Amino acid sequence: MALLEVRGLTKRFIGVTAVDQVDLAVERGELVSLIGPNGSGKTTLFNCMTGYLAADGGRVLFRGRDVTNAPPHRLARVGIARTFQHVSVFPRLSALDNLLVFLQQHQEESLLARLLRTRRLRRLETEAIERARRLLDLVALADRASADAGGLSYGQRKLLAFAAALMPDPELLLLDEPAAAVNPTMINQMKQHIRALHRQGKTVLLVEHNMDIVMDISQRVVVLDHGQKIAEGPPEAIRRDARVVEAYFGG
Amino acid sequence: MRRAVAVALVVVVVSAPWLVAVAVPRQQRYVLHVLIFTALFAALALSYDLVVGHVGSLSLAHPAFFGVGAYSAALLATRAGWPFLADLVGAALAAAVVAALVGVPLFRLTEHAFAVGTLGLALVASIVANNWVEVTRGPLCITGIPKPVLSVSGGPALAITTLPGYYWLALAALAAVVLLYRGLTTFRLGRAFHAVRDNEPLAGAAGINALKYRLLAFTVAAALAGGIGAVYVHYLSVMCPEEMNIGLTVNLLVIVFLGGVGSLRGVLLGAILFTALPEVLRLAPTWRLVIYGLLLLLVVVRSPQGIESLLRRASVARPAR
Repeated sequence: MALLEVRGLTKRFIGVTAVDQVDLAVERGELVSLIGPNGSGKTTLFNCMTGYLAADGGRVLFRGRDVTNAPPHRLARVGIARTFQHVSVFPRLSALDNLLVFLQQHQEESLLARLLRTRRLRRLETEAIERARRLLDLVALADRASADAGGLSYGQRKLLAFAAALMPDPELLLLDEPAAAVNPTMINQMKQHIRALHRQGKTVLLVEHNMDIVMDISQRVVVLDHGQKIAEGPPEAIRRDARVVEAYFGG
Repeated sequence: MRRAVAVALVVVVVSAPWLVAVAVPRQQRYVLHVLIFTALFAALALSYDLVVGHVGSLSLAHPAFFGVGAYSAALLATRAGWPFLADLVGAALAAAVVAALVGVPLFRLTEHAFAVGTLGLALVASIVANNWVEVTRGPLCITGIPKPVLSVSGGPALAITTLPGYYWLALAALAAVVLLYRGLTTFRLGRAFHAVRDNEPLAGAAGINALKYRLLAFTVAAALAGGIGAVYVHYLSVMCPEEMNIGLTVNLLVIVFLGGVGSLRGVLLGAILFTALPEVLRLAPTWRLVIYGLLLLLVVVRSPQGIESLLRRASVARPAR
């Protein structure tokens, strides 16, 4: 059974079918890339899978359970983490708090326990801070831990958002253009991070325009065009696929 | 050092009635009255800040919750003969129930639409208070609300009859609100509130149910406003519809936004300044409101993020010793 399974997903906007009967399966431990020209429906598909848009048809299964159109916070709690294409952090929280807030909701605690700061909760908090500091270290933001996230550079915020998504140790990581609009050094860093995650056994679904990253690290590539899946296979095969070449370069 | 300052501040605040008696013996009653109002306004502004400052929803409905609490306490005390502490709890619960009920549809609105929706609620509440004469006596007001008696059933009772007594009661109410405010706006709850305020879609990805946290802040704020309403009517001994009109929102907006939105000391500072200041300006009665207005303008122009931001900048500029 695939970790994530999308069956016949369809999303229509007025007059446009942005995602048209797409099937997609991601096995546990796989690194799959979703590519396609601008406007081919990649982000719409992402948003439908993560509860940000209501799908008009089709189903989404996670670990075999139907999670179609579940709200984002519920999907986050069952183990699906996502990042956003445009930099997305909590600007008035510190970099450290940006990470902490991504773990705490996974530790179900009563309102009263939170208000009274029980001993158990304080211990969990200490552990969370340790984990957050390790992740900040990983993305080279350790020295900015107490800075407001809104004051970080674009690339730093992108890395912070990436680290935040890793905070709850999600089973499935959906990355929406992690390398878009950042400088080449950072693109390379991001590639190394994603590759490292994959080696640790994480399951990753990647939307990316940067073909260098996609061809280099993906095990499998899924190509969308005009909302439809037009090709699927290992990177070498996709590179030679006539339909893909047509979609990208053809009239 | 900081601790010593804090202790000194608490001592001064608690012993204020005696200090006032020594400093301005002939104005004692008036000054204490202003201090009681300042404490109650500070508590009310802090409860309001839970919503506008910490989950970032511009509610204009706070007078409605204050009024529901005030009228509940007034009615429970005068018609049902409830003791003070019971009608205080009743007032807080009544306001919380109203907030929870109207909060569900109101939070389907966002940003400006939410503000207008809550404004509508405040206006409706005010109209009801004026016109539901059978219950509220409308503009005739509910009078003869008894002095608060703090008592536990069977135990000793403490009647609050003097102005210093009322002052300490208001101060106790403020202290309770401060403690709850601190508990709610720091640590994990505060972090979740601020996440919702800063970036709601991302909060969803962090596993936060934004509606739940917004409703929580809204309901707790309403309960506190209702409780403060109860203390307020027992102090004045009368409750009239104009106590809950929309002008109250303007006062709260001034205190919270010019003091320092989302900041405990900013809101406290705002409450002290903008409750006491108009009174101090009575020294120049003709120009009072003109000067007050100009001072508001000055703050808005010079420090649009509130007076608290000036303090913050000052403490950054001065190196830590």
